[in-house]
Amino acid sequence: MRYYRFDSPQGRFVGNTEKYSVYEQVISEQRHEIPAETYQNLPGELTFAYGPATGGLMESVAFDMHTPGEVIKHIEVDPYVKTRKLKVKGLTPRDALLMVERINGFHAASNAVAFEMAVEDALDIDVPEGVQYSRLIMLELERIRSNLEVVKRVCEPAGFGVPQNQIAYLRENVARIISRLSGHRYFFSASSVGGCQISKSGIETRIGGVRKEFQEIFHALLQSKIFLNRLQNNGNISEGSLLGPAARAAGMNVDARLDETLIPYRKLGFRPFIFDEPDAFGRFYVRSQEILASADMILEALENSENSTEADTAGMNGEGAARIESPQGDLFYYVKISDGRIDDIQMSSPSLLNIDAFRKSMAGNIFTDYHFNWESFGIWISELAVVMQ
Amino acid sequence: MLPYLGVVLFGIAALLGIFNRKASYLMLTASSIVFAATQFVYGNYLSYYSIIAGIVWVFAGIYSLSYGEKYGRWLASLMSLTVLGMSIILVSNNYPALIAGWEIMSVPSYAIVALNRSQKGPAFTFMTFSEFSTVLIIAGAVSSFVASGNSSFGFIHLATFVPLLLISFGALIKMGMSPFMISEWLPIAHGNAPANASAVFSATMTLMGVFLITRMIFLSAAGPALVYIGILFLIIGSISILFASIYAYISENMKMLGGFSTIENQAAILAAFGLYLVSGNSILREFELVTIIIFALSHAVSKTGLFLSIGSTRGEYFGEARAPEDRWMRVGTLLSTMSLSGLFPAIGGLAVWMLLESFFMQAYLGGYIGIIAIIVGSVIAISEGMATGAMMKILSFSALFRARKGHASRVETVTVFSVGATILVLFVISVLLVPAVFRGGIPSVLVFNGFTIESRFSAADFGLLSPDYVIALITVFSLAAYAVFRKPKTRTAEVWNSGRSVSSEYTSFAYANNIRLMLRRVLRTRMGNDNQPVSVIDVFWFAMNSLGRGYRRMCMIATRKFMNSSIAWYMVYMIVAFMAVIILAVALY
Repeated sequence: MRYYRFDSPQGRFVGNTEKYSVYEQVISEQRHEIPAETYQNLPGELTFAYGPATGGLMESVAFDMHTPGEVIKHIEVDPYVKTRKLKVKGLTPRDALLMVERINGFHAASNAVAFEMAVEDALDIDVPEGVQYSRLIMLELERIRSNLEVVKRVCEPAGFGVPQNQIAYLRENVARIISRLSGHRYFFSASSVGGCQISKSGIETRIGGVRKEFQEIFHALLQSKIFLNRLQNNGNISEGSLLGPAARAAGMNVDARLDETLIPYRKLGFRPFIFDEPDAFGRFYVRSQEILASADMILEALENSENSTEADTAGMNGEGAARIESPQGDLFYYVKISDGRIDDIQMSSPSLLNIDAFRKSMAGNIFTDYHFNWESFGIWISELAVVMQ
Repeated sequence: MLPYLGVVLFGIAALLGIFNRKASYLMLTASSIVFAATQFVYGNYLSYYSIIAGIVWVFAGIYSLSYGEKYGRWLASLMSLTVLGMSIILVSNNYPALIAGWEIMSVPSYAIVALNRSQKGPAFTFMTFSEFSTVLIIAGAVSSFVASGNSSFGFIHLATFVPLLLISFGALIKMGMSPFMISEWLPIAHGNAPANASAVFSATMTLMGVFLITRMIFLSAAGPALVYIGILFLIIGSISILFASIYAYISENMKMLGGFSTIENQAAILAAFGLYLVSGNSILREFELVTIIIFALSHAVSKTGLFLSIGSTRGEYFGEARAPEDRWMRVGTLLSTMSLSGLFPAIGGLAVWMLLESFFMQAYLGGYIGIIAIIVGSVIAISEGMATGAMMKILSFSALFRARKGHASRVETVTVFSVGATILVLFVISVLLVPAVFRGGIPSVLVFNGFTIESRFSAADFGLLSPDYVIALITVFSLAAYAVFRKPKTRTAEVWNSGRSVSSEYTSFAYANNIRLMLRRVLRTRMGNDNQPVSVIDVFWFAMNSLGRGYRRMCMIATRKFMNSSIAWYMVYMIVAFMAVIILAVALY
């Protein structure tokens, strides 16, 4: 492992896999347990069970809200009501990739690139810089679409049908750009271990158009006091282990792209957007700024990107790990390969820590503000409720 | 002698209670009928209060045959004694008899509250406010005596406003309203008594206050001072009705909710008194008097139904309530709560309509009184909406949707249903309760003469209501719907909670918590942390306690710092106090 080592816990905690706790540069067998808090209803209080399959929720997740009515005293989130078991062990990296990129279609590129980088780390496969630029384009395009989706979903509970549909239209545009770029709306099979195949023609104009249109919608939303009232001071949380845009909205200079040495973020002068409002508004604002910043990065990266074919992994051995900044935060993969097949695979999703942050931020909140807060974290249950066997 | 027959019979009922509770309750019921029958004089508004009180006592007596069994040996006697006191108030023709009746009513009530609870607080609170009330009434009686030229303690016509003011304030305390505050004492006292006694307290003890104000207004000569007293009543009434309805909505103790609802109703009546005093229009004044009588009738009967149905849940708090499974009990509770919500087809609906009609018709007359009327009328309308929410809460969480089911005795069921039926019947016959001048009709649309109640403020047929036609239309359409659609087919299914085992019952606390949060600045809502519940404080009660504590502290400081063994300072104090009393006496007379 070139970038990670097994050691005792140190540095920033980024998540738990099934077996390990993951830090910035360290994998530890000493578990960092996230304490589960229990709550006993006081007289007059009730437990309102919301989900796992109900209106207003995109994915299956169960909430138990302990409430004396309207105000939420405590919330428990169970993302594992629909856990998926994926049989990955024993597969070749090539076949495993087919499953990994389907863990969450919306973040297929992030999962695929992180997995590929972990395999490349395990097998000492060097990837040309031009291919890393192509991967950067993929990741940032995916970030734009994911953040657009979150902003759209934040508009939804406010009943802001017009901007919601305008953003849905932009998201569709980005999906079509991705389709033109990679041959698939969700980047499936666009990248591979050691390689990447994308088509750049016409992307520049299209992505510029999306950026311009989003900027107008974003500025219009900032003019709406009704909208901002629902977001500001909703779900304040600035302590604990926040990841991704949620952390950056809370003023934390936290971004896996800062630690990155292979994907050439630094060469493009990348600086994360840090904000100082740790509420739903802050998270909305950071995501919106990241949409604009990602579009700029893509435009810069297009010149240097290259394509390359898949590397041969047959009969090889090793263990490796990689961490990238997915749209929601740090996404980590660890693989152990024996005789060209996956012997062990561990994954840590940013949603684990962000759910804990969401849970803490909900104490004292009210029902009507719950959806804004939940959506602002941009949590994806599918990345969390998955067991790789 | 006939007018005193009922009073004597109540005394016998109290004596009987020492030996046999059921016999005492039966005697109380029979005496109430005799009392009401011997007091009634058609056209004499004051005699109507005896009918209202008699109806309540009849139901309370019957209900107690079953409910009173578990409350020791003294409850029957004490209840009859309380009723005896009230009957003396109603038949009294001089101040000493009135004051005697007031005390006979109050002392056994204190004992009922004291014997029911191990804590001394509620009974002590009750007695403190009762004595405040008595002191004011005595002061009013003395001022009347002085005004009469030191010749009579009888109810004579007065040129001065002082007796009206003092006695009204005494009555206001009994009605749950100390000036500019909601007296939480009334919900505390009523909430800590057995349900049958609570019904008597809430329905008729407050009625005595209404009776007393009516009597004093009849004795007072019109003058500018009465207009100011009327404005004062309007202000006190509108503040009290708003806060009482809010506190009723958020109350978790069912009987305290009923107590706050009583203050809300009494405040509405007080506002009607206020309008009566400020209004210069004779037709409107007559209409307001009828409104006060019908409101008092509606409140007394409906509140009886409410407290009796609460008693049948065998709990005081919503969390303890067991909804009686008998559907007739539920129908009775529904009608009582509908009436207290001011909804048709209950007598309470008519009362609220007449009250709002009075205020909005007064607004038509213009001037600053018109502006006050429209403001107070709006406050009453808002408060009635809040009261409807409170009543729906009590109906839902004590009678309809509780998972915990209970059983009520047949006597209790029959009584509660009978109260509900009475509320309906009173609505049907309500046209007979108003003077002929307010009856009308619109024969051109088949509403025949004599079937509408009209406020008579416009040549056009505006501001009218036809209770019988309301009932008839509801009945006809209900039967037609039944004839066409028959009984709706219902299908019960197991509760499906997305496959999850978590299943909670929605609580009454949650029902009202939005109001606690929205009005947090008014109610001083405390959110608390994880281990502390959301709570509110009664700002009036809090202010009064703070004032009391502050006064005591000030006295302690004065005693220790200045008057500690200092005869000189004590003499200064005596002189200042003496002069203050003399100046006050001169100013008043």
